[in-house]
Amino acid sequence: MLFSRRLMLGLAVIGTMAGALAVPAKAEGPTEIDLFFPVPVDGKLARDMGTMIKEFNETHPGVKATAVYTGSYDDTLIKTRAAIKAGKPPAAVIMSANFLLDMQIENELTNLDSLIASDGSTKEKFLSQFFPALHGNAVINRSVYGVPFHNSTPLLYINADKAKEAGLDPSKPPQTWAELTDWAKKLTKREGDKVTQWGIAIPCAYDYCGWMMETLTMSNGGRYYNEEFGGEVYYDTPSMLGALSWWNDLIYKHKVHTPGATPGPAVSTSFISGNAAMMMLSTGSLTYVRDNAKFNYKVAFIPRNVRNAVPIGGASLIMPAGLEAEKQKAAWTLIKWMTSPEKSGWWSRATGYFAPNVAAYKTPEMVEFLNKNPDAKTAVEQLDVAKPWFATYKTVPVRKNLEDEVMLVLNGKKQPKEALAAAQKAADETLKPYNAETSLKLP
Amino acid sequence: MSLAEPAALPVATSAAPRWHVLKRFTGSVKASLPAYLLLLPSLVFLALFTYGAMGRVFIDALYQRATPKAPVSFVGLDNISAVLADPAFTGAVVNNLIYAIGTTVPSIALALLFALALARTHAVSSALRAALFLPVLIPMVAASALFMFIFLPNVGLLDYYIGRLLPVLPNWLGDPDVALYAIMVITIWKNAGYYMLFFLAGLQAVPEDVMEAAHLDGAGPYQRLRHIILPELKPTFLFVIVIATLNAVTQVDHVFVMTQGGPSNSTNLVLFYIYQQAVEHYDIGKASAATLLTLAALMGLTALSFRTMANREGGS
Repeated sequence: MLFSRRLMLGLAVIGTMAGALAVPAKAEGPTEIDLFFPVPVDGKLARDMGTMIKEFNETHPGVKATAVYTGSYDDTLIKTRAAIKAGKPPAAVIMSANFLLDMQIENELTNLDSLIASDGSTKEKFLSQFFPALHGNAVINRSVYGVPFHNSTPLLYINADKAKEAGLDPSKPPQTWAELTDWAKKLTKREGDKVTQWGIAIPCAYDYCGWMMETLTMSNGGRYYNEEFGGEVYYDTPSMLGALSWWNDLIYKHKVHTPGATPGPAVSTSFISGNAAMMMLSTGSLTYVRDNAKFNYKVAFIPRNVRNAVPIGGASLIMPAGLEAEKQKAAWTLIKWMTSPEKSGWWSRATGYFAPNVAAYKTPEMVEFLNKNPDAKTAVEQLDVAKPWFATYKTVPVRKNLEDEVMLVLNGKKQPKEALAAAQKAADETLKPYNAETSLKLP
Repeated sequence: MSLAEPAALPVATSAAPRWHVLKRFTGSVKASLPAYLLLLPSLVFLALFTYGAMGRVFIDALYQRATPKAPVSFVGLDNISAVLADPAFTGAVVNNLIYAIGTTVPSIALALLFALALARTHAVSSALRAALFLPVLIPMVAASALFMFIFLPNVGLLDYYIGRLLPVLPNWLGDPDVALYAIMVITIWKNAGYYMLFFLAGLQAVPEDVMEAAHLDGAGPYQRLRHIILPELKPTFLFVIVIATLNAVTQVDHVFVMTQGGPSNSTNLVLFYIYQQAVEHYDIGKASAATLLTLAALMGLTALSFRTMANREGGS
């Protein structure tokens, strides 16, 4: 307590001094802007971001951008909101793509339409640079609020060596839930009652759990949420019931999936160590698997029950509301530069995310990279069937309403049907204030 | 100083007329003026960053907006009653009570045990003290990251060893029945060494002659512990209990890192609930109301403990 107070005092003093120094510097020279960026996956992302911003500053003498590391996706939202409240918003932020709607509802985003128009472009032309699956999370009420920066989809990872051992052909990965169940059964090894190798692992921790539920629900023909309106989710529906029941069956009926809720890092570690023969995880983990797996692995589409469909994940570049015109212009230059085909492709190769800019895949560096790492292609191919990431009013609590119930099911404490009914009820309650001023506000 | 003054004042009023008190008061202010001036910079920052923030929380707790686009309006105590009616809050309070009792009692017992065992200073005990104190030096966030890998289901360090003994392995952080206890183990591991320091200091204050006299009178080790050491350690106990209880409410970094209050809210503690209201729900009114309630409970608890402490010291 004492230390932290002293630290705060020290920081305050340093802050005032830095502020005093920064103000005169701003009056002359280039426009200074801040870019808030999160590091959601492990690795050397922070260093890569430094390299990128250094190059931007060298090639754009009129702007001096500073990259500010702001923690996880959630932390970045907190810090951005705090900065907006303090009246000093950063000029640009790399924001989790499904937070945009919530921020727009709170009037915290700059509408980018006028900036696109000032370039002599149109919304349609601007958006056509990016994969169609990414438009849903960038456009709200037919206005552009975000520019896709790095994105992901869930993938099925298969330990090819173990598949061969079990007499399965890894070049023909399972395409349906039935085939996947069959594979998982064959890949589970038991000694008496004890399982020594699990057939499949699917992560479930806050954030990941909701994304996996959306993945399974969409593969089962469902929608999870209303893409056009932020006040509705479809939890208590046949498509989600089927999805959760199948997940439940993998654990308690087929006994090929470890019981309980397992976080993402535990799933990837389990796969790398050979304890789980298959896993469903983000493309963002591909670089990690490539660097660490001591066996042959294979990535494939998420299998379907009704149709092939997966949600996207990742982040977009946004501009907070309340920026001065000069900073807005500088930030727009930065955003366009960062999402250009060359930079988009470079970032994709450095991180493992796919590049949202379609043209990035036509650059010679990218063509060469894909020839060397054909597994990186799967995520891009799966984009054809990808759909937006759920985003509602109060996205996080509404998602948590579902996740808490799913965790109970995975722990054998509730049946899927009653869990989903409870989740629906809780989510409807969370969404109530928004509906009260939109869909239920009647003349 | 502040403790001594109220005791002196009533004596002065009974002995002399009112103006005398005033004079004494101005005199004492004059005498301590340089001290206050020296304290001024700290006081300004204290007011800005500690009491200013507390005042802001108090104001925020009284305001709320009805719908997302509506302006904030004064709602009085509505936020507080909304927090009290929220099952997530009551759940967090219950979890926090289990967590507080389940961490303070074992960590204090262990700390006392360590201190008694290592009271005499020689090479081995110094090394052991250092070893037991080591967890205190590791930041909670780093420790949590380490324990996440220790607790990994099936492949973690813990399961690697325990897996040979148990037929079915618990999912340490993924099972709502187990997760809170897994979190508690880390807290005990982390804090026992810290509390040990207080007990070591307390043991230095046990009078040597009393111990020798007891020895000569033929008191056994248990009798010496029960009738001499423990009574002498009473103030230390009270102090450590207060510190441990405050820690149980304020130090929840591992919940942030390891479980985020999950699975299914089973490790949701009060401070994390406040964070969720402020950040995830973006409901500053409710978050501030929950903060006020927590603050009130903590201040009540601290005041009570220190009064008991003062009473006991006055009595002896």
